[in-house]
Amino acid sequence: MTAASLIRAGAQTATPWRFELDELGWRDMVAALAHDHDSLPFAGLWCDGVCVHALFLPHGQPLAATLALDDGRYPALSPARPVSAFYERAIYDLYGAEAMWAVDVRPLLDHDVWLNTAPLSPTPGMAGTHKGLVRFQPAEGLHADGAQRDGWGPATGGMGSPFHVGLAVSGGRVLGAQSQTGYAHRGLALRWRGSTVEQAARLSSRVAARCSLAHQVAFSWAVEAACGHAAGVPAEHARVALLEIERIGHHLYTLADVAGLAGADLPASRCMMLRERILADVAPIVGSRLLMDTCVPGGVRVKQMAQMAELCSLVPDIARPGLAELNQLWRDYPGLATRLAGLGTPAAEVLDRTGLDGPVARAAGRDCDVRRGLPAYEGLWRYTAGPQHGTAQDRALLLLDEIAESLGMLDRLAGRMGPISGPGTLSLRDGEGTARVEGPWGSIAYWVRLHEGRVAQVFYHTPEPATLMLFEDTLRGCAADDIALLASSLGVEVAAQDG
Amino acid sequence: MGLMRAVFDMAFRPGMQRMKPQGPGWPVRLFHIDTGGCGGCGMELQALSCAPFDMQGAGFGFVHSPRNADMLVVTGPLTRAMAPVVQAAWEAMPAPRGLVCVGACALDGGMFGENYAVMGGLERRVSIDLAIPGCPPTPMDVLDGLRSLFRPPVPAPDTQGGVAAGGADGAGG
Ligand code: SF4
Repeated sequence: MTAASLIRAGAQTATPWRFELDELGWRDMVAALAHDHDSLPFAGLWCDGVCVHALFLPHGQPLAATLALDDGRYPALSPARPVSAFYERAIYDLYGAEAMWAVDVRPLLDHDVWLNTAPLSPTPGMAGTHKGLVRFQPAEGLHADGAQRDGWGPATGGMGSPFHVGLAVSGGRVLGAQSQTGYAHRGLALRWRGSTVEQAARLSSRVAARCSLAHQVAFSWAVEAACGHAAGVPAEHARVALLEIERIGHHLYTLADVAGLAGADLPASRCMMLRERILADVAPIVGSRLLMDTCVPGGVRVKQMAQMAELCSLVPDIARPGLAELNQLWRDYPGLATRLAGLGTPAAEVLDRTGLDGPVARAAGRDCDVRRGLPAYEGLWRYTAGPQHGTAQDRALLLLDEIAESLGMLDRLAGRMGPISGPGTLSLRDGEGTARVEGPWGSIAYWVRLHEGRVAQVFYHTPEPATLMLFEDTLRGCAADDIALLASSLGVEVAAQDG
Repeated sequence: MGLMRAVFDMAFRPGMQRMKPQGPGWPVRLFHIDTGGCGGCGMELQALSCAPFDMQGAGFGFVHSPRNADMLVVTGPLTRAMAPVVQAAWEAMPAPRGLVCVGACALDGGMFGENYAVMGGLERRVSIDLAIPGCPPTPMDVLDGLRSLFRPPVPAPDTQGGVAAGGADGAGG
């Protein structure tokens, strides 16, 4: 039997796409998953204190398996889906639930400094006993004989979220790398528990600022799916416009960072100048430079609703001339293409193992884009093909192409966008909903559970864990001085993963 | 936290020189630490450090080591895992030194408040030389705030503006 049919053979729950398995059924599912990589894309593993839930998105549709914890334990998924190890480690830290036969049991979030161990479990444990700087806990085999130990982060003076990379270095080259995260854990799951939908939407804005709008839309769609509510075509058009504006701003920000770290100051400042020119028009209409608090369940809430169609024409008009110059400059700038062409090609096997999607996978020849199957993008999205060898330069050129494609989508939207009104009123009923969007660095999935008019639980799946795995692997053999550049080029971020 | 507070209290002894003196020491060098936020404040600092904002022209620049820094710029709510990192960075900075909090989280925890992993903001824990509220503040808010450090002191704090600069007693030690 396939993993999907094993899941569907479980007991149907009140949610049509979620099935409850017993432990044997769950183990059979894990065994089947080991041989079934393509048809069941893994989209996260979560705990609610009583059960664990594994979410898959075959053909973009949700399919979930639930298993009741047995004495606080459950069979791990990580032997079949390695990226699940991140979720298993987080579940242990937050709920104390143990994944049997897990491939990695190092702490992910709790480094023995919290007020309680297992803070979300019904019976939290004692306070952590560690004082001072968090210790790096390497997995076995990181530090090879003769290699020098080194580390990077969590305070590098850069502007990204804090994380640490432990390194084994020899002759300036990285022999092995392992990340340690959890420094930015701020208890999002606890904050969401029992919140109003409005409060929860504001929180979704601030899971990861670089993808704020993508998180807001995925959260809002998931709530609407749970309530059986549709926000309407004009609101969906506005959401797509905002998603593409976020992508444009994000890609320019990333390109600037990559260019700056590669020593190409002129392309870096051109990227940021162009981004600022766009934001100067976006912010007064939307009400936020980083598009925070603009999408809520029921619709959108921008400052000047009547000007959204105008914004869709305005952004391409401002951006196109600058983008053409930037494209040329990026290719011609002395040394930049050569520097990036030799850097950071992920191994195909690791891409498959992690299941990473988004621009990193697309620049390595993978055909994956959630927008292809989203009703909101019907008639708007077109396939963007670029160089596909997976180097840092290929990723940069793909980001430039994707900006052009997003501008094209805004053009198409400008002619279609009808009058938008404020968010409609939702009738909140008990239930669960999921949704997925194509964020700037790949797909972002949300699962929301509503209970008695409030948000009972929110879980999300982002590219961050898979990106970290890929980053650790791709670092091997690189110059130790290239860590920041490689992290930027691969989109390494931990704000969402830390939660 | 007791140790950290002691370090901060020592560092912020009243009556010490308020800021790095103007003159040959320009630009004022800033070391940034994200202590656990969403990254929005960090993005706006990154924007500030690039064109078209003339941060260098205004006399400020970011550095990659606290040993070379005059001011510590904190964004995000202070998580328990990051508190010792802030302390270590502070101890590594040469005197005189100052502390800037950028964004609601760094000030009072913002929407994350306090919980098992988060200690909240720095506002009630240590003296802050410059507080820049907002979620996130814009790059111009941050630049205006930084520049306010060098304006002549005003008798009463301006409660209307977006920026609150600490008094002489909140000085970097
Ligand atoms: S103040 Fe707002 S933007 Fe800044 S880190 Fe906190 S939540 Fe993010």
